[in-house]
Amino acid sequence: MDFLFTLLQVAVVLFLGYLLAHKVFPKIVVRVGRLLGFRMRATPITQKRLRRFKQIRRGYWSFVAITTLFATSLFLEMLVNHRALAIYYNGKLAFPAIAEWMDDVVVFLKITPFNKKSDFGQIGESEVDYGLFEKYSEDPSVLRKEVEAKKAELATERSAHEANPPGADAKNFEKRKWEREGRRLDKHDAQVKQMEANLEVFEAGSAWCIMPIYPHSPQSLRHEIQDPPPNHPSTSRGIPAGTDVSGRDLVPLMLYGFRLSILFAIAVAFVGYAIGVVIGGMQGYYGGWVDILSQRFVEIWGSIPFLFVIMILASLIQPTFAMLVVMLIVLRSWLGITYYVRGEFYREKSKDYVQAAVGAGVSDWKIITKHILPNALVPVVTFAPFGIVAYISTLVSLDYLGFGLPPGTPSWGALLRQGLENVKFYPHLLVVPTLAMAATLYCVVMIGEAVREAFDPKVFSRLR
Amino acid sequence: MHGMTSYFIRRLLLVPITFICITLLVYTVIRLAPGGPIEQAKLQMQQARASEGGGGAGSADLALPQEAIDQLKRYYKLDKSIPVGYLIWLGLYPDEDKGGFSGIIQGDFGTSYRFSDPVLDTIISKFPISIYFGLIGYLLTWIICIPLGIKKALKHRSLFDTGSSMVVFMGYSVPGFVAALILMMLFATDLVWKIFPLGGFRSENWDDMWAAGEYWWCIKDQVHHTVIPIIGYVMGGFATMTILMKNSLLDNLGADYVRTAFAKGLTERRVIYVHALRNSLIPLCVGIGHAIGLMLAGSFLIEKTCNIPGMGLLGYMSLVGRDYPVLMGIVVIAVSLRLVGNILSDIILAIVDPRVRFS
Repeated sequence: MDFLFTLLQVAVVLFLGYLLAHKVFPKIVVRVGRLLGFRMRATPITQKRLRRFKQIRRGYWSFVAITTLFATSLFLEMLVNHRALAIYYNGKLAFPAIAEWMDDVVVFLKITPFNKKSDFGQIGESEVDYGLFEKYSEDPSVLRKEVEAKKAELATERSAHEANPPGADAKNFEKRKWEREGRRLDKHDAQVKQMEANLEVFEAGSAWCIMPIYPHSPQSLRHEIQDPPPNHPSTSRGIPAGTDVSGRDLVPLMLYGFRLSILFAIAVAFVGYAIGVVIGGMQGYYGGWVDILSQRFVEIWGSIPFLFVIMILASLIQPTFAMLVVMLIVLRSWLGITYYVRGEFYREKSKDYVQAAVGAGVSDWKIITKHILPNALVPVVTFAPFGIVAYISTLVSLDYLGFGLPPGTPSWGALLRQGLENVKFYPHLLVVPTLAMAATLYCVVMIGEAVREAFDPKVFSRLR
Repeated sequence: MHGMTSYFIRRLLLVPITFICITLLVYTVIRLAPGGPIEQAKLQMQQARASEGGGGAGSADLALPQEAIDQLKRYYKLDKSIPVGYLIWLGLYPDEDKGGFSGIIQGDFGTSYRFSDPVLDTIISKFPISIYFGLIGYLLTWIICIPLGIKKALKHRSLFDTGSSMVVFMGYSVPGFVAALILMMLFATDLVWKIFPLGGFRSENWDDMWAAGEYWWCIKDQVHHTVIPIIGYVMGGFATMTILMKNSLLDNLGADYVRTAFAKGLTERRVIYVHALRNSLIPLCVGIGHAIGLMLAGSFLIEKTCNIPGMGLLGYMSLVGRDYPVLMGIVVIAVSLRLVGNILSDIILAIVDPRVRFS
């Protein structure tokens, strides 16, 4: 029953993700585009291409799957997290998971999702153990048993303590030790009192919390599993994909890793292509010396063994996410597209309609954006999926070699490295990230194939 | 041919410029980086002192004496400015220690920090392994991809075409080193079937067995060690090559000259395999040159994964161990191979396809 309920939750969340990616987001794009003064209406050719893309079912469904998953994964902090979505205790209400999400998403905002234990019916000043809190609130008798056990333990310790006080001839340090023990027991008594007070709150029902669908984070360790990590996958123990060498749950690691990889690849591909389109466009449009010099530069720059240089840079300074993105853009992603855009600009510029526009005194800017650019964007669109595959692979490779994101980041490559080291006894460390990566990349490749076929259809006529 | 000659001359002129730009870039990055040989020496010194148990020694005692630092700096040429150091490395500025010009141009790649061996010898000793895998991998790609591509083109949009496309793209979406990892898990551990060894280029006693005349055992051992890494090497190129072959043949089959050939009454076999196929192999020939340059690129990951002591692993180890002369040497080799490969591609294309005119 519980399982079915979880499944239902996942389905609802994915449906919301689908709505966001396919209904809300396109509308926002259109609105913003109109605000910026674009017509934002597909030309008949584009409409035809889109229709053709939808007809290629494998590619279209891969596209739906990837976009839906990615849109959903933008809210991962609220879906897969060890922090509670909402927690209420005796008049205090907090939303730690939502706070964490806001903290991650809204860059300039600094919200701390931290709630200390003593505010939420637990003993201590560190962060609330939300899993334990949920257990207590669902069944206060768990806490009652704990309180009683602790009470009984304390009582025996107290009686043992009072039974043998140090004699009159005892040494000074023995007396001090006895007093210290007394103070310790007093402190524990106070804790038990506090726990009893907490118990009343829990039993009165004025404590509840809502946990995310999968209540574990990529960073949090699964201490409750007694065996030393790594642990093999086991649904009965609540680790469907097992844990890694430091005891982190693989399910959140995979999901957060998915978001990170896609974000990384999209950032590298799109910023790089934007730069590439500008440079390639300038080369093709203006030609002459601009073209010759920059073309030589592109050739030289393209000869850099970029993976090697990134590895050298990364071995010197521990790169962050943004630094890796910038490195890959600068060293690689803007290059390839310049050739195609340059060629496209050359071709279009010599066509009559552009010459007519030039003759009519239309400004360069308008000719470029209104007439040539839409045509030049076709190679960008067809290249993007394969670029994304390449950059995800690059990130995985760098992480695998240990020259990628800082340790502790949820990344597929770092996990593959663990898999290599434990290949004999813990194959799940290899299988789980490989499956996640292969499935993602395969979908993106399918999208790429479909886009290529929709945008650049070759009708192969054959005799016989 | 005049345009072509001047094109190639321009390309050749660009080679040294490219070479200098890239090596200067890498040299500068390395020089500016923290954690160079001096820091390493200091660290070693500190560790040595600490293990001696010199309790109460102040931080001043732990530091290297100034003259030792100066000596080290002199030895590693860190006392020179970056441009001068680079020119010495290149061999265009006299090196006082060696008395005269001694750099890349003179064939002196320097000495490894870690092993004190000449860098060039170290790198050349790794050549056979990289060439071994590169050649076998390339041949394998050709042997499998060309027939597969032809068959896919002839049966365009059939079940065979779609099915093999799915398999080929599956291979494309798993990076080669990951495939090697999975294969190692399946066939090199006791998990499923232990048939291949878990990494390594060949068994440790290979040379002894070869000397003892156990050739059959040696060949078997070599093949066993080769299978998993070679799959990792070729997997990425498989999809590209197959699809290239297929599309290229499809293009040609739709061309007018094929129609003419059919109209002349030639047999289908002759039209496809003699007329169309020869022309559709042209784009694949271009890849030969690039492959030389790319031989090194993928090998980092595979050689690290399968523990093969080739150029890739050497590069990785020198990177981890901050062995900068070796690192620079590998950059030199990688860049040179790539530049030569690119020009070779152009030359091959010019030879096999007389229609092509560069300018």
